[in-house]
Amino acid sequence: MPDGTTPHFGPATIRIDGRAKVTGAARYASDETVENPAWAFLVTSSIARGRILGFRLDEARAVQGVLDILTHENVGGEAEKPKPMAGGDTTETMESDRIWHDGQIIAVVVAESFEAAREAAHKVRPDYEEEAPSASFGSAGVVEEVRKAGEHKDYRVGHAERAFRDAEFRVDQRYGTPTQHHNPIELFTTTCEWRDGKLTVYEPSQFVYGLRGNLAKQLRIAPESIRVVSRYVGGAFGSKGGITARTAWIAVAARRVRRPVKLVSTRDQGFTIVTYRAETRHHIQLGADRNGKLTAFRHEGWEVTSRPSQYNVSGTETTARIYACPNILTKVNIVHADRNTPGFMRAPPEGPYMYPLECAMDELAFALRMDPIELRRINDTQTDPATGLPFSSRSLMECFDKGAARFNWSARNPVPGATRQGDWLVGYGCATAAYAANIGASSARVTLTPDGRARVQIAAHEIGNGAYTVLAITAAEQLGLDVADVAVELGDTNLPAAGLAAGSNHTAAISHAVAKACDGIRERLARAAILANDSPFAGGDPAAITLSGRALNGPGGAQESLARALARTGEGPLEVTAENIPKGLPPDAMEKVRQGQMAMSRGHSRDDVTAYAFGAQFVEVRVHARTREVRVPRALGAFASPRIVNPMAAHSQYMGGMIWGIGAALHEKTEIDPVAARYTNDNIAEYLIPVNADVRSVEVLMVPEKDETVNPLGIKGIGEIGIVGMNAAVANAVFNATGRRVRDLPIRIEDLL
Amino acid sequence: MEITLKVNGTERHLAVDVRTTLLDALREHLDLTGTKKGCDLGQCGACTVLMDGRRVLSCFTLAVAAQGAEVTTIEGLATEDGPLHPMQQAFLEQDAYQCGYCTPGQILSAIACVEEGHARTDDEIREYMSGNLCRCAAYPKIVAAIQQAKPQMERA
Repeated sequence: MPDGTTPHFGPATIRIDGRAKVTGAARYASDETVENPAWAFLVTSSIARGRILGFRLDEARAVQGVLDILTHENVGGEAEKPKPMAGGDTTETMESDRIWHDGQIIAVVVAESFEAAREAAHKVRPDYEEEAPSASFGSAGVVEEVRKAGEHKDYRVGHAERAFRDAEFRVDQRYGTPTQHHNPIELFTTTCEWRDGKLTVYEPSQFVYGLRGNLAKQLRIAPESIRVVSRYVGGAFGSKGGITARTAWIAVAARRVRRPVKLVSTRDQGFTIVTYRAETRHHIQLGADRNGKLTAFRHEGWEVTSRPSQYNVSGTETTARIYACPNILTKVNIVHADRNTPGFMRAPPEGPYMYPLECAMDELAFALRMDPIELRRINDTQTDPATGLPFSSRSLMECFDKGAARFNWSARNPVPGATRQGDWLVGYGCATAAYAANIGASSARVTLTPDGRARVQIAAHEIGNGAYTVLAITAAEQLGLDVADVAVELGDTNLPAAGLAAGSNHTAAISHAVAKACDGIRERLARAAILANDSPFAGGDPAAITLSGRALNGPGGAQESLARALARTGEGPLEVTAENIPKGLPPDAMEKVRQGQMAMSRGHSRDDVTAYAFGAQFVEVRVHARTREVRVPRALGAFASPRIVNPMAAHSQYMGGMIWGIGAALHEKTEIDPVAARYTNDNIAEYLIPVNADVRSVEVLMVPEKDETVNPLGIKGIGEIGIVGMNAAVANAVFNATGRRVRDLPIRIEDLL
Repeated sequence: MEITLKVNGTERHLAVDVRTTLLDALREHLDLTGTKKGCDLGQCGACTVLMDGRRVLSCFTLAVAAQGAEVTTIEGLATEDGPLHPMQQAFLEQDAYQCGYCTPGQILSAIACVEEGHARTDDEIREYMSGNLCRCAAYPKIVAAIQQAKPQMERA
């Protein structure tokens, strides 16, 4: 295997699944054909808290084509509550009469057609006993508690309270981030088909084995009797990571009507039947000496969750280790409200928690009359300040320097509100981006066929991350073939297990498994070669034999064609299945993945190093002097990584993350009715995501980095870091343009009047 | 009710509910699943198809109302192993997508954008492509793909 000691950027490769995507041939879950499907339509609650007294169903049943109506009264005992990937518990749906949040699934109508199911669903009349709900922070009836150590922990180094009190320069501010919804363009769909007691589920998923294992528990059947298929996922961003309530009910419906049942939920239902990014609040205290050296860092966060869940993201685990500081104190609180349970959304901890830190650093730089990049340089460190471990690699200042040069940062006027071009106020801002380098356990099967082609089979996930292509590149490189010679099959629990495609770990996890299987093939070919008298490698060292150019190559220029070497291992194809359990994970990690649990080594909880990816982000904003409209004409991100498998798709990942950041800073917010505890802009015309006209120049610099310990292939994840620094970079640029410091996102015209 | 649709040059007979949208007719009755449902509310553009050369939202068009029109879907731009339409080729080469879900709608909208004469500048393309949302945010590369395909389309 190549290693991370030398930075390695692979060849820019057009996606191997690209043709399927541009011709409409790619089959997303709801595109899979099943014979004679019935259609499901969900009925969701119109109150946020209370009980269902009963249903009046006559009108709904009278709709022509209705086959069945599921409610807690007739199917409540047929499935158990789903188990979320994090946070322990979640709300019920049709297991009981209880309403936990607005938009909760309370009935499923099944009919001959989509149109009939929809009509009947609108005619289901529930009677409620309603209670006053609690919507969010500040609502009467919410319950606040200090988050205990468990999935996440706090850091206490030195004496942060005292150091802050004694500091020469202080920033003491509160910040907030809003509720956000993933809104992938693909809706949340599920198709279930029973055949001979076996269930096939077509559902877009970031973890097919997780869906299988957890659905099996809900339905009280063996995981082996379920097959989950998800060949293409139409955007996920965390929303398709954990199992949600709908799946089991569609399986139950299909069993009842003895036909495949297909659900395509509506856009507004997507706001309440799956997870979301909960709103957060922050209290940041930074203390520094007159030279800008940090002396104190305190970060306390508050996060909303549902009544029964402990879900929280605790981004203090990242903010505590960004800058050298001798006194650190972090704390996180969770606030229970009558809401659906939140979950992972792109850079779950780093998005909302790096924003206040990076704004506070900008505020400190301003107070010190110091360039914000210089403040970060003064506080840069190669040692994790929270634990004392070395970073596996940290090229943060290299990213700042390369990015600043390219962005022309030196043209920035440090005086806020002083740069005007025509009707536009111009400002520059920057921020640090960081994301833990995670890697999960994974297995894979690779088959080499006599015609010189290879097949890679793995239950990995194509969610736009370019997984098909990454694996074709990896296998081609390891086996000495061309990318075009490799076929890749993904997204099916009939294939060897792979873990959750989240936490920016997937490329690292699946590439290592495939590389290991390829190395198994190399080893088998090499061992056969050294034992054969007719081979140029006879009696040699198998470890010295490598695969390249469709041939085995050894010391002294010895060479033999792949076809000839393969023929020696027996008739037909050579198949090797391998597992990769990353350092630090228990030996049963792979079995856990097969059972549908997460098994991931996290960059901030290793015992040898702290492994993070770093980047620097720059933004130019223009604020209209009269209307206060904010535009982003330019953004630039410089990101360090030891290895980039496919620079073409990687560029898109970084760029897409940055545009997400522009959206998060300026557009996105799910509005909540404080009385009804209801999302009011639950569609993608009123939930504002960036459109083409919102985006102009977005530049990405990939900075090569040396790293000998992150993992053998030197892969740091790239899917999420792009968003991390953008919120603060935009907010800091708005301050530079206007002198107005907006601490609650998103920044809108009304904040700048 | 029984209707006849002309899709990608072929007449197709099907029985639909009067409420069935062109989008659902294509996907669920004709197995042309390249056209995607992203909102069913005319907000996202994923279901864009061409009707008599004009881009329309198939979720906002009833199947019965599409009778008599020439409907072109993403499947109608290239044969299975044949050469791609210049716009499809440009999307491939510019990596103008990630998950690929909005891509069929983007490509059909992009073709119409060029044919309408609304692709004269990057700014004009951005404006006239803003009805097609891309949550992976491939926008700058979609603009680049249209700029790449435009001269080839104009020559053809």
